[in-house]
Amino acid sequence: MSTDTSTTTPSSKGTSLSLDAWAVILAFLLALAVRFDILKNVPW
Amino acid sequence: MASSISLPHVESGHPLLNGLRLVPGVLLLAGIGYSGKILEHSVNAYAKAHHWTFPNIEYVLWAILIGLVISNTVAIPRFFQPGIATYEFWLKLGIVLLGARFVLADVLKLGSISLGLVVIEITLSLALMTLLGRLFKLKPKLTSLLAIGSSVCGVSAIIAAKGAIDADDEDSSFAIAAVLALGALALFTFPAIAHGLHMNDVSYGMWAGLGIDNTAEATAAGALYSDAAGKVAVLAKTTRNAMIGFVVLAYALYWAGRGQAETVTNKAAFLWKKFPKFVLGFLFMSLLVGFHAFSKGQVASLGNLSKWAFLLTFAGVGLRTNIRDMSKQGLRPFIVGFIGEILIACLTLGLVVGANRMAGL
Repeated sequence: MSTDTSTTTPSSKGTSLSLDAWAVILAFLLALAVRFDILKNVPW
Repeated sequence: MASSISLPHVESGHPLLNGLRLVPGVLLLAGIGYSGKILEHSVNAYAKAHHWTFPNIEYVLWAILIGLVISNTVAIPRFFQPGIATYEFWLKLGIVLLGARFVLADVLKLGSISLGLVVIEITLSLALMTLLGRLFKLKPKLTSLLAIGSSVCGVSAIIAAKGAIDADDEDSSFAIAAVLALGALALFTFPAIAHGLHMNDVSYGMWAGLGIDNTAEATAAGALYSDAAGKVAVLAKTTRNAMIGFVVLAYALYWAGRGQAETVTNKAAFLWKKFPKFVLGFLFMSLLVGFHAFSKGQVASLGNLSKWAFLLTFAGVGLRTNIRDMSKQGLRPFIVGFIGEILIACLTLGLVVGANRMAGL
């Protein structure tokens, strides 16, 4: 199943963030972890 | 799998419970994706050890094939479904992280070429699908949904347009089924045709990004050809995705003008709502790399994280493709989609070949 860019994920406070926003937030959290060597030399 | 053609729904309940519901399906995606990676390695090693001439089958294809076999042979328990539905989240995460592997200058150069091609592709595809819908006497709103789905970005565009033009659930399911079935076909036909035509990585990536409707399938078809082609396919497809708001707005205004959809009061707010925000994340990540925010090793790590995210996506592409469910959706929308997609594929191939000659892709 596919999801729309406007699909929302509800939070306990009643506010909501789109799937896109969660993806962007997680991507930049990972980028920060890589930048500050919390995640080092991620293998493939 | 019924969810392959149903519209998304928002889980209600405690956020922690919702999060826990995702775990089995996400683990299934990770398991299938990782099995694909292990299979690629072991089959190649076995063939080499026994001096066999065996084509290199990439992890992408293994992950999709395992997913396809599972979803078409066994009934996947319901508790896996919420997690499987996250495959598009991993796709968007992967695309934002992939931004690290693009130098902004490349994004601007390839992006401007693909933007020009995207505008031509969208205009011709919309006209073509509308004409075919009328020829085959499809319902006008189903024709609109098929036209939007095949010209912009597949399932996401159809869902975004459904609310905007006030279309039926049934029409949306038809259009989604057609786009998904044709995307599954494109996964195997596009790389085969490109190999036959000896296309270079950039040309093929551009073609896959322009010609395949759904972002997940376009990304997978690109990665099936080569790593470099996968990158370009994502860039071209992302450019296409960025146009979603404009096309949906045009259709919303058209149907509102006929009194068959709600009037759009604030066009700028409408465009922003429909704009895929992960495109901004992708560009910003590329910008950060351009400003040397990361070392070379860190950029490689971000690229690898992107590949891990895509691994889950490719497993999801296979798992949500259920041939039996798709065949239940009726033949006419599929035939219209099929004819339209073949023509669009030929058209986009011509555009890419032309751009390659003129701009040297």
